[in-house]
Parts: sequence; C-alpha cells; structure tokens
Amino acid sequence: MAETVLQVKSVTKHFPGVVALNQVDFNNYAGEIHALVGENGAGKSTLIKVIAGAYQPDGGEIIFGGQKTVWDSPHQSREAGISVIYQEFNLFPDLTVAENIFMGNEPLKAFRLIDYPKMIKESDELLSKFGICIEPLKKVKDLSVAEQQMVEIAKGMCNQTKLFILDEPTAGISDQEAETLFERLAVLKAEGVSVIYISHRLGEIFQIADRVTVLKDGNLVDTFDTKAIDKNTLVSKMVGRDLEDIYPPKGGEAGGEALSIKSLSVGHLVKDVSFSLRQGEILGLAGLVGSRRTELAHGLFGSLPITAGSYKLGGREVSATNPQASIRSGLGFLTEDRKNEGLVLGQSIEANITMPILAQFANNSLVDFKREKNFCQQEMDKYAIVAKSGEVLVNNLSGGNQQKVLFSRWVQACGGVLILDEPTRGVDVGAKVEIYKIIRDLAESGLAILLISSELQEVVGMCDRVVVMKEGRLAGELENDQISEESIMHLATLSRENFVCD
Amino acid sequence: MSEAFKKVVSKIDPSIGIVSGLVLLLVIAGFFVSDRFGTTQNLLNILENSVSLGLASMGQTLVILTGGIDLSIGGIISLTSCLTSGVINGNSSLMFPVIAGVLLLGIAIGALNGVLIVRLGVHPLIVTLGMSMVLQGVTLMYTLEPPGAMPLSWDLVAYGKLLGVPVAPLVMVLIFIAMWAFLKKARLGRYIFAVGGNAEAARLSGIRQNRVVVFVYTACGFFATLTGLYLVSRMGIGDPRIGGYYMLSSITPVVVGGTILAGGKGGVIGTLIGVYLIIVLRNLLNFMDITSFYQWIIEGVIIIVAVSFYVERKKV
Amino acid sequence: MSGTTINLERAETSRLAQAKPFFQKYGLYVFLVLLILIAVSTSPQFLAPRNIQNLLTEGAPLGMAALGQTFVILTAGLDLSVGSLMSSVAVIATSIAPDNVMILPIFLIAIAFGALVGFVNGWLVTKRKVSPFLATLATMIVLQGLRFAWTKGAPLSGHLPPGFRVLGTGTLLSIPVNLWALGFLILVFAIVLYRTTYGRKLYLVGGNPRAAFLSGIHADRVIIAAYMICAVLASIAGLFLVGYVGSVDNWVGKGYELDSIAAVMMGGASFKGGKGGIFGSLAGVLVLIVIYNLVLLLGFPIQTQLVVKGLVIILAASFYLTRGD
Repeated sequence: MAETVLQVKSVTKHFPGVVALNQVDFNNYAGEIHALVGENGAGKSTLIKVIAGAYQPDGGEIIFGGQKTVWDSPHQSREAGISVIYQEFNLFPDLTVAENIFMGNEPLKAFRLIDYPKMIKESDELLSKFGICIEPLKKVKDLSVAEQQMVEIAKGMCNQTKLFILDEPTAGISDQEAETLFERLAVLKAEGVSVIYISHRLGEIFQIADRVTVLKDGNLVDTFDTKAIDKNTLVSKMVGRDLEDIYPPKGGEAGGEALSIKSLSVGHLVKDVSFSLRQGEILGLAGLVGSRRTELAHGLFGSLPITAGSYKLGGREVSATNPQASIRSGLGFLTEDRKNEGLVLGQSIEANITMPILAQFANNSLVDFKREKNFCQQEMDKYAIVAKSGEVLVNNLSGGNQQKVLFSRWVQACGGVLILDEPTRGVDVGAKVEIYKIIRDLAESGLAILLISSELQEVVGMCDRVVVMKEGRLAGELENDQISEESIMHLATLSRENFVCD
Repeated sequence: MSEAFKKVVSKIDPSIGIVSGLVLLLVIAGFFVSDRFGTTQNLLNILENSVSLGLASMGQTLVILTGGIDLSIGGIISLTSCLTSGVINGNSSLMFPVIAGVLLLGIAIGALNGVLIVRLGVHPLIVTLGMSMVLQGVTLMYTLEPPGAMPLSWDLVAYGKLLGVPVAPLVMVLIFIAMWAFLKKARLGRYIFAVGGNAEAARLSGIRQNRVVVFVYTACGFFATLTGLYLVSRMGIGDPRIGGYYMLSSITPVVVGGTILAGGKGGVIGTLIGVYLIIVLRNLLNFMDITSFYQWIIEGVIIIVAVSFYVERKKV
Repeated sequence: MSGTTINLERAETSRLAQAKPFFQKYGLYVFLVLLILIAVSTSPQFLAPRNIQNLLTEGAPLGMAALGQTFVILTAGLDLSVGSLMSSVAVIATSIAPDNVMILPIFLIAIAFGALVGFVNGWLVTKRKVSPFLATLATMIVLQGLRFAWTKGAPLSGHLPPGFRVLGTGTLLSIPVNLWALGFLILVFAIVLYRTTYGRKLYLVGGNPRAAFLSGIHADRVIIAAYMICAVLASIAGLFLVGYVGSVDNWVGKGYELDSIAAVMMGGASFKGGKGGIFGSLAGVLVLIVIYNLVLLLGFPIQTQLVVKGLVIILAASFYLTRGD
C-alpha cells in the first residue's frame, strides 16, 4: 500500500454539552480518496477542523507526513500542505474572485506586493480547468451560490497540496458540475494527492472513493473498502439501526386545506410558486442548496416581502408583512439555522420556549414566573428535554435538546400550519428518531406540516407528498410511490441553466 | 475612450462618488458665497487645515477596515506633542533624537493597543478607551500647560513651501496615495480587508489575523504621532489638550468616506475626500459667518445622512 | 453518555479552568472589595461617614447614567450622546426661571427632551440601520451644537432654582438626596429589567435580534425603548449633576458617556448584547468612583486618576472574556 499521509490517533474533542469526537482513529494514504460519512452531527466537520488546526483536540494525536503535529492555527496546516474546503463558505464578499481563490496564498513580487497579473492568469486557468466561466475580477458577492461553491473549490486547489479535504462540496451544484469536480479529483489522485471527501450523496462516494469511514455521534464506527460494502449496509452503519426503525409509519388521513399558495413571488428570489397543504399532512419541500426553499418560507412568514401572488391559511387570505402577524394568523416557522435564527443561546430554556407567547404568562406586563416555570416543566417532560431545570441556558444543551426546545416553542405558538426548516440538522440519531416521531404525532393531531429538508432520505422517509424547487421555481410534485431519492434529484437538477462553458 | 471611461467610473465605489460630488458642490457654492473663497490664499488655507485631520484619519481608516476602532489617537497626539516640545525645549541639537524617540513611542503605544486587543480579547473600544485615559493622564502629569519650545527650523514642517506651494498638504496627499497602493497591492493590505470582511474565514484561510490586527493599531499609533509632530510644528509648541478633538473627529471622515464600521469595506481615498468635505464645509460656514456651534450641528447631520445612504454589506 | 470518563479526565487537567467561571461571574465584585480594602488600609479617612457621603453624592449621577447605558448596551448598542445630553439638560435647567416652583416643570421638560433624543437615536439605529456608534456620535455632536448655539458659548451660573442644590448635595436622614433618587431609579428599572415582559424581551433581542424578530417580538420597538430609557435617565442624571456642581458650563456632562460605557462593560456586559445587568454596572460605577476618591485621599495629583482608571477599565473588562469568545 502507498505511504500513509495522515494518521489520526484516538482524537477527542469536547464542546460545551457535547463530545464532538470521542477517541477517533483515522488514516489516509497518498493517492487515495477517502470518504467520511455520517449523519449530521456525527463529528465529520469537527474532525476535519481538528486535522486542519482550526480546532485543537483535547486528546489524542495527529501525525502528518510522518511527524507528530500540534497546530495552533490553520496557517500552520496550510503551510504543511493541507488544503480544506469547508462546508460553510469561507469567502470574502467584497473581494474579487481571484483574491478569494488565492487568499492566504498570493503570488508575490518584490516587497510582498501581490503579483496581480499572475494571480488573475492563474485564477483563469484554474477556473477553466473546471470548465467554468467566472470573471476573476468579479466580486464574490455578485456570484450565484453555485458559482461561489466553485470558487471555494478552486481556492482549495491552488496550492501545493498533499492532503485535500472537501466538506460537502457538491451540496449546491448540479450533477454536471459535480462530474467536472470528480474528474479533477481523479487527476489529483493520480498525482499522489491524498483526499478526504465528505458528502451526503452516497452515490458519489461509491463512484469516487477508495475507502469510506463512518462516524456516528462522535465515535468511529468503522472503515470499509468501498468495494466491500453496499449502500444499504453503509446507511445502517451510519444511523446505527435499520431504516425501518427510524421513520414512524406514514398514513393518517389528510383533512381540509390548511395552506394554499397561489403564484407566490418573493422578490427575485422566488417566482410564481403554487401548491397546497392539508391538515394532518406532511409535505416535503426539496431542492438543492440555493433552490430558495428557505426564502419561500420567509416569504410566507412575513420576514421577506411577498412581491406577487397570495396565500390562504385555513381558507382565509393572509397578508402578513411581519412575523408577528403571521404567528397571529396561525403560522409557525422553525428556522433552519437554530443558532442564528432560532435560539437565544445565552438565555434559559424557559425564556426560549415562551418567546412568541410571553404575553400569555404576564399580568399587566409583569411576568408570572411561577406559571411560566410550571408550563415549561410540562413542556420539558412532554418533549423529553434533558436538563436539570428550565433555567439552564440553551447554550449548554445538546443539538437534539436545543431542537426540541424549538419544537416546544413553535407547537405552542402556531395555530394550524408549521413550517420546519431542516429540523434535524446537527442532532444525533437518537434525537432524530424522537423528532421524527414528534413530527408525525403533530401531523396526526391535525397540524399541517411543511418540511424543508436537504436530506433526501428524510424527505423520502417522512413525507406524504413532496414538492421540489429549483432556482426559486417549482420543479414538480411527487406523491406516494413516486417519492424516491432519484426522482427528487432528477427534478431538482433537471435542465438546470448553468454557467459551465460550452 | 468613452467605454474605457465608463469602465473606470463603474469601478469607483458609489460612496466615493457621493462624497466627491458633495465636495465639488461645496466648492462651487463657495464661489457664490464669498469672493474671498476662491482666492489662492484661502484655497491653500483649506489644504493646510486638512493635514492634521487627514493624518489622524489615515490611521483610523486602517483600524476601522479591520472592524476595530481606536479611541487613543487623541491621547497619543497630546502626549507626543507635549513630549516633543517639552524635552527639546528650544535646543535644536536634541531635535532629531527626540523626534525619533517620540515616533518610536507612538509606534510602541499603538503596538501595545494591538497586543492587548489580541491577547486579552477585550473589545478594541474598551482597550483604546482605557489607553486614551492612561495617555491623557500621563500627559497631564507631565505638564498642564504647553511645555517647552520648538526650534524655529521645525516650523518648516508645517509652513515649508516649495515654489510657493505648501509642502505639508502635498506630503499628506502623497501618504494617502502610498497607503492606497499599499492596501491595493500589498499582501498585508489585502489581509486587512480580509480580516475585517470575515475574520473566521481569514483564520481558516491561514491568515495570521493577530498580526494583521497588531499591525493596524501600530500603524495608527504611527500616524497619530505624525499628527502630533505636525501640530507641534504648526503651533510651535505642544499642548496637553490638543488631542481631545481627534479622538472622535478622526472617525467622521472615515465613515463619511464610505468605510463601514463593521470592517472589510472602504478605503483611504474615501477618507481623504471625507477630510476635504469637512474642512471645506467648515471654511465655507466661516465665510457665511456661521459660528462653530452650527457647524457641529451640520457635521452631525452629515454623518447620519452619509452613513444611512451607504448600503451595509450583505453576508454571503 | 459516553463522555463521562473523558469529562473526569478533563476536570483533572484544568483546576484553573474551574476557577475561571467564578472569576468571570464575580471578578468585579472581588476587585471592588479589594479596592475598598486597599482604600481603607492606605487612607484612614476613607471610611469616615463624611467621605463616604461625598463619594456617593458625587457618584450618583454616574450611577444614573450607567443604569440607562446598561439598557442600550444590552441591545448590542451603545450611547455616546449621554454626556452631551446631560450638559444640554443642565443648560435647559438654567434657562428656565430660577424659582423653586419650576423644579417639577424642569424635570418634566428634561424627561420629555431626553425621551425625544432617545427616540431619535433608536430610530436611527433600527429604522435607518445606522450603527449605534455613529448614530449616537452624531446626536452627541448635534446636541453640542444646539447647546452652544443657545448659550452663545458663554458659561451660565446662578440661574438654577435653589432647590436643585438640595437635590444635588443635600441629605435626607443623613443619606444624600441624590442617592435616594438613584435608589428609587434602581428599584424601578430593576423591576422593568427583571420582572416585566419588556425586560425579558430586551435580553432576547439583545442576545439574538434575528431570532427574536422571527419569534414575533417587535425587536425595533424594544431597541427604541432602550435608547429612550437611556436618554431619559441621562436627562435625570444631568439635573442631579447640575444640582451637585451648582454652576453650569457647556461641558458639564463631558466624559459621562465613556465613563458610563466603561462601568457597564466592567460590570460584565458585552458589545455583542444580551449580557450584563444593572447590578454589575453599578459595581462598575463604584469601582470608578472609589478610584477617584482614593486618588484624592492619597494626595496624588488628580491626573493620576485618569491613568489608574484607564488601566482598571482594560483589566476589569478582560475578566469576562475567554479566549476565542
């Protein structure tokens, strides 16, 4: 076998309230593509940040190029030849494409001046290697999400890389663009570069990876040869149980129309979307990153302005221009980004639960803390939120418990229709199963649920019906047996206009 | 030709366009307001009046570009101006060693600001506010009155002329152009924007942001010291209270020139035009016999109007 | 969970880390006690009732200003117009008839003026999206201009209703009158902050304005109200200050904006908002005035006070931060 480029030995990393990595072992050979898989919150992103020196491990060691390394900052790992494409974009919106690609790695002239002509030329070459036409002097804020993703990838490829780490590089790009990426990775592999590849799209992993390592809840499950394992086995390793046990059985009778949307547009973001949702139904809203599902939800909720069209809640026309009004008319919205848009992390569980309905616990503006406390205790029992008391700061809860706090909040506050945007992002499998059960129970109790999710499995496993969005428009609708990962992907990427050169 | 011109125009930041337009408007208005406005003497006056504010705002721009702020500029100006004239005390043989020493001191104070911000993790506003109090206190312990005297030759800094043209305003403009080129072309210059634009991304890109932060506060200390030395030349003597004005006034031209307090966007050219805007405005109001009291009101209004016109950066 | 064994292991390795939360929470109080001990041991006059009375009388206006500043800093903002507003209110007070009958009207006018200024600040910050620093800096400059335009730059004196002197320097049951007033304001605003829905919303909006907005809280209104509370308290502080000083010049409130911000920050607040509280801020005020008093008692030149104050502000603020926070 080829030489070992990277060896991770029993690495441990804690965050407040969570063990993100628990004595994980991992290694990578030269000229190998090694896939890293696991559910959201399994510890993949933490592991690569530890490898890249962005986090310092609490225990264990990392051996890179035969030497034990202790990196205080990403600067050192970069110098050593590790290049990372992170899941969240790490771009500078007000700088140009070329500057972004070469950030931290600029070609220099005398006096540490940047050699712009060279930088622009090399950016051009690099981008055209991917067959992409992006003007290197354009500012990044003027690019589309997919273009930004390609810039991020190009950024990772520009230096003398020995180990190339990609975290979900294909989350926002089309199959065609992904193929170009895979070709590049094959070339790098042939040149002896070692690659760590994280993806939710399991198909890709079987297509390009040599080995695959499974993480679950911060623990190493095992490492397999991709030839020696099939997709179903891999999935059951990832979730730690058989698929049938994860999703509650579908069914239940759908009632009357709870939400109906007619040719709704939200600025330039969402165009002419129509669909309806019935009581007791779970409707999936699927699409690639950048397909504007979240923006549609914000339009409904009054946090982005609706520019055309209308919608009805329970048969009544709604014209909400702010979340207060939407909540009053019966809508609840559990946002995708729970740290930035959902929770107030520095406040207690109680304060977070009663946020939209605080007035119910007040007499003449004075908060009745006793009543609030009792109510929250009931809620914590109901949703099995694990914490010493309701006064515990939300910051100290695990992802799953944080998410349950949000469920408690929104189920209380909403009056008929609940929008769930990525409700299981960053929670462990146990909590996931609980949340799926909560969602199904809510539907059975008559609530209409719009479930936005990027995890196709989840959409397939949970939804009674699915609508697919593509670049702000409706791409199609799927029902019953039509719902499959393949059919959703097909609609989501179908005849997508893209920026690939001819 | 016109295509090329359009391309150039489209590259100019809209905020710079707005401020330049305002300056132009004020100058045109000036010719109508008073016959004396357009005289060479008055125009040179305007240029000379802009030097100290320009130098102070130069350093402030660098700091604000990283998303920080420096409230200690005033303290540094007061301290360095007093030390210079106080220690030299008319003795021209001491002039150069003292000036070199004072420059080093200013740089060291700036560096200390940066190190404290990086190491203690305290917000720049608090660190530099504390530093400003310390410096002001030290200055007042050193002297309560304008101390010592400067050799006559030091007057040349502020009043020197070359072929009838005052040198100091010219040098200031050259410094701005040099810093513009530095921010545009040098790696460190680009890193200043990167750290201000997205600190975490900068860190993950392998930029040693602590060094960048320490650098900008050091540079700010340097420019504040230059301001102090210039003022000593202009007044002929240091003054323990002269810096107070610059603490907050150095921020106005920066933000009026389109640099946003959040960092990562803007630049020194906008600041330079912002400085001229304020100085021309003041000059004009003087001709209109409007007292400084109303000038304050107008300055406040300009800050608000300018800033609420510029669109803050959208996150990627 | 599987983390238990590792957690134990970690606890062993970092005794120091355990001490840190304590220090973060109570650091300023410990510091204050230390400072008082130093004061007591170096200067016998420190504990003299007269000195304590002086110290508190002098500190009361800063206490009021810091009380208001706390509300604004909780929203992740700050108010630089506090000092200028205090001066302006002082000028207003001297511009109305110097008759004790006018005390109540003067208070009402000052409060209304403060509410207006606070509203403008809050409006600029929320509706015009001007950063708090610049919005309140601009208000500060504009108020300064208005004040000087009104007074023509001349200092005013002796035109205050005599009752103001009593408010500023008198005692009631041997406790300074302005301390009674401060106590009353603390009580009122502690209830507002810790017992009302508004106080709860303020912490929620400060901690995460986006999440608060998406939960149906009128974040803008909450923030505007915070600026109004701050400005009203600054106006009241201005009146007590002018009562204490006795005469008015145009700069009487100068420095109060930065001192009040420093006190609040020492008291555990963060410019990121949602953190800190009234009692921390008041402890911060006490630290500042004890330093001031100590410097006087020890006979150091008054300028030393600035140096010590500057150092203490930096030091105290660093208690609350962990690296990478």
